Amino acid sequence: MSEDEEFFAWLDGELDPELAGKVEARVAASPELTARAAAQRRLTAGLREAFEPTLAEERPAPRFDEGKVIDFGARAAGRGARRPFGVPQWAAMAATLALGLLVGNLVGRDPGQSPVVEEQGRIVAAGALDRALDVQLASAPAGDAVRIGLTFRDSAGRICRSFQDRATAGLACREGSQWHIEGLFQGAEGQSSDYRMAGQDPGLAQLIGQKVAGGPFDAAQEKAARDRDWR
Amino acid sequence: MPSLSFDAELAAVWPRLRRFAHALARNPADADDLAQMAAEKAFKSFSQFHPGTKFDYWMFRICRTVWIDMIRSGTRRAAREVPSEEGERIGFDPRAAVEATIDLKTAMRAMQRLPEEQREVVALILVEGFGYREAAEILEQPIGTVSSRLARGRQALLVMLGESG
Repeated sequence: MSEDEEFFAWLDGELDPELAGKVEARVAASPELTARAAAQRRLTAGLREAFEPTLAEERPAPRFDEGKVIDFGARAAGRGARRPFGVPQWAAMAATLALGLLVGNLVGRDPGQSPVVEEQGRIVAAGALDRALDVQLASAPAGDAVRIGLTFRDSAGRICRSFQDRATAGLACREGSQWHIEGLFQGAEGQSSDYRMAGQDPGLAQLIGQKVAGGPFDAAQEKAARDRDWR
Repeated sequence: MPSLSFDAELAAVWPRLRRFAHALARNPADADDLAQMAAEKAFKSFSQFHPGTKFDYWMFRICRTVWIDMIRSGTRRAAREVPSEEGERIGFDPRAAVEATIDLKTAMRAMQRLPEEQREVVALILVEGFGYREAAEILEQPIGTVSSRLARGRQALLVMLGESG
């Protein structure tokens, strides 16, 4: 270790007590070293302070696995933003992976009738899911393949409905005559809870929390909304 | 690793990872890309993570690897802008050095002028607060190498940021 390195190791508290004592005495005896130590301490403090604002910035960590969340709304919003690296590729990758799982789950039981299809870059409900979203009420008997959870308006005025399938859950919002899938989540396999409780899925609950404006519909409001064709 | 959630681990280290990326990268946009790419790479390799080792070390190591790949691939314009004059001072008033604070932009510019092998050590130890041994473990370098690079890096920084070392 050079003398310089020893000095810095002392400054950083990296020396064993015996050697630290020696360096300390050497620094104390030298005005030049004392000033140098002070300057280096200021530099370290200044650097740490300079980078500190990056800690406080509101940039949440990307999510990859929890609840197999895909928020297609966020994905679309991110499109066209800064795209030199990373973000769009990641979103595409995550979407492909998670969606593949889910489509597999859903389609497997109902061959030839995919419940979600891509249309002009957006994922929309199809087949049995589309029908269920169109006509089924939350009060429908438990035997149905698709169960409907909460119905509500989002801040854009669209009617949104959460739904659950055997092992998947999601949220769809009405646009024109289509149900746009806003998110798909993989629930616990075989979890056969009352779908009204599907808000338990933390990812879905979070998404609903972000979207809902004015609270969920009660049974009468839900039926009335269906009678108005979800306008 | 059924008991480990990648997202939860990542979320815990994410602010520090972004700070580290800022200490390495040329500008804030590159720093965000770097942190994002590191997270992606870590997620893809999560099956290779050994429970019982420290997730943050692993994450910082991946971030550093991605950063080096970025530099090597030449995707970045210049990995390091060569100072027009060695030891040139950059926007920091030496007379006020005792009291003045360094802003992020100035700090990032100064870091950019360090050779990469010094920059990563300074970023880990001075900015992130890792100990020498921890930094050596993350960088997979001997502790003596870490210590000598740190000494050179911080002396260069002091010159650039306005005080004579």
